[in-house]
Amino acid sequence: MAKVSFRNVWKKYGTTPAVKDLNIECPDGSFLSILGPSGCGKSSTMRMVAGLEHITAGQILFDEKPINTLAPKDRDVAMVFENYALYPHKSVFENMANPLKLRGQDATVIKDRVMAAAKLLEISQLLERRPQELSGGQKQRVAIGRAIVREPNLFLFDEPIAHLDAKLRAHMRGEIKHLQRTLGTTMIYVTHDQLEAMSMADTIAVMHEGELQQLGTPREVYNKPVNAWVAGFVGEPAMNFVDVGLQDKDGKTYFIHPNFSIAVTDQQQHIIAAAARVNALRMGVRPDAMSISLVKPKHECITGKIFVTELLGGDMIIDVDLDDGSRIRVKTSTDFDGVEGQTCYMTVNRDKWHAFSKENGKALF
Amino acid sequence: MASRDVVRYETPLSTAFKWLSAIFIAIYVVWTVLPIFIMFMSSFKDLLEAFKLPAVGDWGGIMVFFDFTPTTKHYYELFANLGFTTYLFNSLVAAGGSAVVSVVLGSLCAYSLSRIDFRGKSDLFFWIISTRMAPVVAVMVPLYWIFRELDLVGTLPGLILAYTTFNLPFAIWILKGFFDNVPYAIEEAQMVDGATRFQAFRAILPLVAPGIGAFIVLCILFAWNDYLFAAIIGSGGAKTLPAATRELVQPQNIQWGQIMAAGVVTTLPMMFLGLVIRKYLVTGLTMGAVKE
Repeated sequence: MAKVSFRNVWKKYGTTPAVKDLNIECPDGSFLSILGPSGCGKSSTMRMVAGLEHITAGQILFDEKPINTLAPKDRDVAMVFENYALYPHKSVFENMANPLKLRGQDATVIKDRVMAAAKLLEISQLLERRPQELSGGQKQRVAIGRAIVREPNLFLFDEPIAHLDAKLRAHMRGEIKHLQRTLGTTMIYVTHDQLEAMSMADTIAVMHEGELQQLGTPREVYNKPVNAWVAGFVGEPAMNFVDVGLQDKDGKTYFIHPNFSIAVTDQQQHIIAAAARVNALRMGVRPDAMSISLVKPKHECITGKIFVTELLGGDMIIDVDLDDGSRIRVKTSTDFDGVEGQTCYMTVNRDKWHAFSKENGKALF
Repeated sequence: MASRDVVRYETPLSTAFKWLSAIFIAIYVVWTVLPIFIMFMSSFKDLLEAFKLPAVGDWGGIMVFFDFTPTTKHYYELFANLGFTTYLFNSLVAAGGSAVVSVVLGSLCAYSLSRIDFRGKSDLFFWIISTRMAPVVAVMVPLYWIFRELDLVGTLPGLILAYTTFNLPFAIWILKGFFDNVPYAIEEAQMVDGATRFQAFRAILPLVAPGIGAFIVLCILFAWNDYLFAAIIGSGGAKTLPAATRELVQPQNIQWGQIMAAGVVTTLPMMFLGLVIRKYLVTGLTMGAVKE
């Protein structure tokens, strides 16, 4: 088990940078998820940790020891690959025994360890089979089994459940998190699925175009996104963004828009005042930070026209058109009975809305 | 494999075509099998019996072909007096040796070409294949000169080297395709598991086994059936079966019986090899190694 540190790490393919100046500290025994869309550099980052890619610049350290020049076998990490990478000509037992065999363990030790891992993953009855006889979920368990038979410095999971069906994925999320807690080994988990990162990780590193956007707990990333990109990437349904103007009236600052004019809270007003000379912002509201009604409320609200309603079983998503051509989505209960084309009114929870700079997308609050 | 049932409907044309293809196959079987059959039968016949012919038009007389007293004297003559034991051994060593050398060097080279990117890689690969484009005869004279300067003419190592020269590009070409089909992630998994690069290479060899098997057969066939190299590079000290058989055609008389027997001795091992490795050969050349 080890603490992992990234110090100014760069990865370039030719002259194209894939990872730019990455700095992350991942404490011993914690669960770090690297989250980002495809091509954001998250897999390159993981492969640099595993030793499958050279580190162009900077340092990666395990317990303060640089590992830049160590071969993969000397780093003592265990990795689960996106497409499992099982050895097709070997049985499940031999697949799981491989890392121990390569380290010259005794046959009895190997057997005990593989059996224990197989029991933990509930694949004891599959040990004699070949990978091609297994289902996707079983292959994935074998791949995890191959990683946990030894006690490595850390686990690297590269989108291990991306190819499973939705139901199994939800199940495996819980299992992997539980596994990491049980074994207590440091884990780096790469994913493009914000739900996986949110639900499993202690810390999320959100990456975009090779740059670390935000490093924080799932709550921080969800509630206090540092910029509009993170705010839009994390959360499902995604955050609504509306361009608004600013207006001061009676000592209060208002967000103004053809469809609404709403005052910000006092605290938010101070933040806006401190950010000198802005007169336009991008407002961000999550679909669950608003309520929708067909009756015009007394307080300030957003007026719009219902574009479409979607029933999701337990709740409902309402798409609402605004006059400036933008469309926002609101989450509400299934009691809502508005129909397409109807005028509706949305009340915003002002403690949960966000404002981003229009120039660089940085969050003001 | 991608074969599957195709829906077909009977039309007069398709019926006619079915008959035509049946006739064609029948002719083809006779065409390919009959000479081998005659060779096999004749090798057990005395010279006089081998040339017994029925009168023209006498189809009943075809039974004359089967009317003989079997004799193994040609085989006895070959192995007891004409040194065919040595020639058989030479053939085996030359074919097997070049297959082993080609497969070892070829798989290392094919692996590198498949896994590592370097400048001029496609040019190098093309150059390797292009060495097979020139006919053997074209390079025979310079090759002979080189081999003579190196004292390799008439030696088994010389013959192995000569066959390897021609088999190696072929090995690289076939095996690269097989390595290309093995996902790189499998080696990466090996390396993370604790293997060195070379151990990882060895670990994926079973996955290209069909390719290696197929290649070994083709390589042995090439060397075994070769006459040109055997006659020129191998002449003298490293005589192989085809070269020795050729010498049975002498100016004063042609030893038909012995030639037939030598033909059987040359053909049988390859037919046997073909049977043993048939499965590999078919899957190896059509299927691309492994699916994930």
